[in-house]
Formats: sequence, structure tokens, C-alpha cells
Amino acid sequence: MDIEVNMGEMAVTRRHEDNLMTLGVGSCVVVTLYDPKRKIGGLAHAMLPARLGTVDDQELLSRRPPPAASGKYIEAAIDDMIGKIEVLGGSKEDLEAKLIGGANMFTDFESEIGKDNVACAMKKLKQEGIRLAGEVVGGSKGRSVEFAVASGIVTVKIKF
Amino acid sequence: MSSNLMEINKMAAGKASEAMSKLIGNDVGVDVTSAAIRKVGDLSPVLASEEMVVGVYMLVTGDVKGASLLIFPQESAFKLSDVLVGREPGTTRSLTALDISALKEVGNIVAGNYFAVLSNLLQVKIVEHIPNFSSDMFGAIVEQIITDFARESEQALVVEIEFVFKPLTLKGYFLLLFRLEELKALLGENL
Repeated sequence: MDIEVNMGEMAVTRRHEDNLMTLGVGSCVVVTLYDPKRKIGGLAHAMLPARLGTVDDQELLSRRPPPAASGKYIEAAIDDMIGKIEVLGGSKEDLEAKLIGGANMFTDFESEIGKDNVACAMKKLKQEGIRLAGEVVGGSKGRSVEFAVASGIVTVKIKF
Repeated sequence: MSSNLMEINKMAAGKASEAMSKLIGNDVGVDVTSAAIRKVGDLSPVLASEEMVVGVYMLVTGDVKGASLLIFPQESAFKLSDVLVGREPGTTRSLTALDISALKEVGNIVAGNYFAVLSNLLQVKIVEHIPNFSSDMFGAIVEQIITDFARESEQALVVEIEFVFKPLTLKGYFLLLFRLEELKALLGENL
């Protein structure tokens, strides 16, 4: 089943027939985590490095039905994904990550948000001891991502 | 939000559509789809995430801080370029530097007219910055304005306006985000 993960959401699955998908990624960062031994995968489409002063995740969680839980903030999304993968029987030690996104869509406009999102995700993965297996980040093109849980293959598509 | 501010937005959108009508020589219908205080990421799904669009993004500073994004689906942008650059209808299949410059100017004119009304009615100073252009997937382009904004504010006054160019059957989508801090200081209970 194709599971679409929207901006600010996250999903984890162990069903081998599932594809986790997210479409039209710009300055956000998509983090995929995969336990290849047990074939459990997660995908977060995170907007920002860190939480602002006010917390609204509970509202997001209540508004969106599972499996797409909140993935708005990178650090929290990665923590949440690791926790959910472990609940499904996965092991943090076996996880490998891939990063996609962090673009600056308006090249004449100086924005650091894409870069900051990627840097934050890399730092967090390093802190958690998770190997970065691949990345397609930066630049100025939007991307769509499809993560096949059976194989662990992540496909990144751009359009012209 | 007060009905007063909704009216102001309708007037500003009307002025922006008038400017667009003059520019292309065709009637342009306008509809303020929504003008409400919302979470920055909560937008109407007016187009599919992967639909190819062009976007003209402008920052706004002064007494009111925010950003505007004028979006045309790619086919609409091609039709609009035919009109703006004076080509035969159906000729444009990719955008040249001249087309991009003309579309940026459309963004500039639409936003300029919108903000002129807002500035006059609210008696505030609004400074528009230079227009920035991108051609890519709708989701990716909208994400940029949302994430840049969401970094500072969880919520905003979000205004969504749809333009319909009837004779040409093309559509445009105008998204505006305003920071609440300055608006609250200016409008108080009227916000």
C-alpha cells in the first residue's frame, strides 16, 4: 500500500508491501530510517530543525489519523521514528538513514533554512550513532521520494 | 478575524485583479478563498504537490511583516507568457529569460496593488522587496515560504486568493502570510 506522508508528518511500517511516499519536497528535509535485517522502515518529512516556544504537536496528532504522526521538527521526528521502529521489533543498532531535500527553491533569495535542516538532521543522526547510507540534499530543485520497505530502496524524483 | 479585515482583503484582491486585467487585456475574476489566522503549514490543497508551477515570492517588511507568493500552474504560465510577450496563443512551451522577467513583473504588480490598498486602508507603511522566481513542483515551492515563515512564527494571518482568467481559462493562486505580532499591535481587537 502506498502511504503518503505530508509535510510535518512521519510514518513507520513493517508491512513489506508498503511504500512510504512524500511528494514535492523543497526546503524541508526527508529522513528515512531502515532496519534491513527486519525490514522495518520509517519516513519523516520535517519542516524545521527545532521546536519554537509553543507546542502544537498534540493538536497535529489528534487531527491526523495514524500512521502519519507528527514529524514537524527534525530532532523530535528522528527520536519518534527510532522509538516506533523499536516498538515494531527493530533495532537502533541496525538502522541506516537516508536524507533528501533541504533545497533553496528561490535561488536569488538567501534562505538558510534548507541548509540548516540538513545540518540538523546529520548532527542528530551522528549523535544517535545511525549510519548515513545516502543523501540527495541541497540545490534548488524540488524532489519526490518513494521508500520501498521490502527492499529498503529509496527513489528520488525531480521534475522539469 | 474581523469581517472588516476580510473586506479589506477583498478590496485589495479586487485591486490586484484589476491590475492583472489591465496587464493582459482580459477580465480577471478574483475570489478570496480564505483569510484567517491559522497555523503556517495549514494551507488549502489548491493544487497537487507534484504539479509543476511557477512561483513569484516577495518578502514584505515595514509596519507589517510577511511574504507573498503568486503561483501559476505551468500551463497557465505558458498561456500568460504568450499574452505578455506577444506570441501566438499556444506558442510558449518553455520559459525564456524574457518570460521569467515578465512573470516576475506580474508578481510585482499584483502584490504592489494588493499592498497599496492594504497600506492605504490600514494607514501603515509596507515595503515590498524584489520578486524572486522559481519553476518547480507546487509542494516544493510553497514549502519554502512556509518553512522560512514557520521558523519565526507558528501562526500567521493566512490569505489565499484565487484568480481566474476566464477567456484564457488560466488560473493563478496568491498566498500571503502576515506575522501576527505587528498586526496585533496595529489592529488590536480588530484582528
